[in-house]
Amino acid sequence: MLLDYDRLGWLRAALAGFTALVAAFLLLPVVFIVLLSFGSSRWLAFPPPGWTLKWYQELLADPAWIDAALTSAKIAAMAAILAVLIGLLASFSLVRGEFRGRQLLRGLLLTPMVLPVVVFAIAIYAFFLRIGLAGTTTGFVIAHTILALPFAIIPIATALEGFDKSIEDAAIVCGASPLQARLRITLPSIRIGIFSAAIFSFLASWDEVVVAIFMASPTLQTLPVKIWGSLRADLSPVVAAASSLLVGLTLALMIVTALLRRRLSR
Amino acid sequence: MTLPFLSIRAVRKAFGAFVAVHDVTIDVPKGEFLTFLGPSGSGKSTTLYAIAGFQDPTSGDVLLEDKSLLLVPSHRRNIGMVFQRYTLFPHLSVAENVAFPLRVRRRPDAEVKRKVADMLALVRLEKFADRYPGALSGGQQQRVALARALAYDPPILLMDEPLSALDKKLRQEIQTEIRRIHRETGVTILYVTHDQEEALHLSDRIALFKEGRIEQIGTGEDLYLRPASEFVAGFIGNSNFLPAEHLETENGTAKVRLADGSIIKGVKATHALGRGQKARLMVRPEAFRLTPVPGNASLAVEIVDTAFFGDRRRVVARTGSGDEIDVRPTSDTAEPGGADAASGRQIFFDPATAFLFPA
Repeated sequence: MLLDYDRLGWLRAALAGFTALVAAFLLLPVVFIVLLSFGSSRWLAFPPPGWTLKWYQELLADPAWIDAALTSAKIAAMAAILAVLIGLLASFSLVRGEFRGRQLLRGLLLTPMVLPVVVFAIAIYAFFLRIGLAGTTTGFVIAHTILALPFAIIPIATALEGFDKSIEDAAIVCGASPLQARLRITLPSIRIGIFSAAIFSFLASWDEVVVAIFMASPTLQTLPVKIWGSLRADLSPVVAAASSLLVGLTLALMIVTALLRRRLSR
Repeated sequence: MTLPFLSIRAVRKAFGAFVAVHDVTIDVPKGEFLTFLGPSGSGKSTTLYAIAGFQDPTSGDVLLEDKSLLLVPSHRRNIGMVFQRYTLFPHLSVAENVAFPLRVRRRPDAEVKRKVADMLALVRLEKFADRYPGALSGGQQQRVALARALAYDPPILLMDEPLSALDKKLRQEIQTEIRRIHRETGVTILYVTHDQEEALHLSDRIALFKEGRIEQIGTGEDLYLRPASEFVAGFIGNSNFLPAEHLETENGTAKVRLADGSIIKGVKATHALGRGQKARLMVRPEAFRLTPVPGNASLAVEIVDTAFFGDRRRVVARTGSGDEIDVRPTSDTAEPGGADAASGRQIFFDPATAFLFPA
């Protein structure tokens, strides 16, 4: 091989250094935010003069923040459920279907992942304004479901492709109707894919900010929108605390996913 | 005459212009072990799928106790099936797999429990009831699949090359199990395989498929000892085909001339052949002798190679016209004499055990 890691010599150290630099570049801001959220300085000074939990107390005492978090969770949960349901049906037709334009449909369903978010945001905002869905929970959920769909379809379709259809046929010969066979045999067999789809769709909505900024109204704000808004108004460490909670929940979900995947794929 | 238990009537399956199965007709008595044998693409699996309901035949009918199965959807046909691939439900334990067909039939719990225990005892996997399919070997998985397919006492069990993924030793072991289970349950079995040994080991009757048609149907002995065509003779067992010219047929025996000029008399005439018509003489390797037997035909050959296989010798001989012959006499017959004695040797066979097919 042209680039054999074992034969790079001194370049190995350089490569390791560069990798560490990239990792630091990606991770340091997150680490800083978390550290600052525990710092006692009003002005986000680093290093902090002392340590405190008061920003978290302030955060949890403010109904606006709690509201935003609940709104985010509610929208993300609904978008995840819808994305998984639609993703399941779409995956069956994309993987099992034999019809013209199947590849085209697959491409279309996956576009939200590659389309610049701001383009999508403007388009759907303009459309929702016209039909009166802008600034509503329904509008939020629809927009986020579309964005989350590729994250639901990819793991489900992959799991379904890896599932031998003979197993479903066996269930049918055993006496299960085609629907029963799918519900009782196929779905449980691809549960890892469905579970990943749910987590990824939830996260796709949970930390989405561009579409959310367009969709938000003064009374309907998700957590990322609230953080963004607060940052612009005043640079309080409360924002750092909110961001840390956002990071914490995301991290927790990823860890739960990894653990469950390991347990399920026994 | 009593009605056949299962009747496959003129079943035809076409995929566009390609006809996979040409009007196959078979009657299967209750309790029979019938094997569909043939090379891949010969239509044997397609016929099985038509019975299972995975593929609707283009025309023809499948009757079970005189009632058509074709209008019944797969899941209501009440047929058992074991697949080529491992098809155990991965998220269910062995016991739950076997219970599945009974659960969808809403049988009472006590009955399900009893039946699952019976079935696992039948395939001798009682100790594996709580394991998951991922923790079983291929052979164990296919035995569980068999238990699952028999749990609801189906009138017919279909088996689609169930052992093809297993190694040879395990295959023979499970074949013996399948024979025992067939004897103990008396279920009617239709079995698909491309392995002639497997077919001979298991079946009451074998239907040999070729290009979507049944070439011959009969017991293993019928197919081996009385092959209807060159294809059957070539597919079942080992055979030597020697180019020949038909000279004449009289009183049911034929006289032929081989390519090296030797004349063979007394060959059973099973096909009507014209004078001078090109034909092929088929002789089984084990029909040859290395020592003269009264009344046998002889061939002048050169010994090319000889090997000892315990119960048999294997000798490769070459005729004057260059045709190689596989000779497998029992090993208690004389050593052919090695390469020194190569020229001028003769091998012998009883012409009544040879077959003559049109070329």
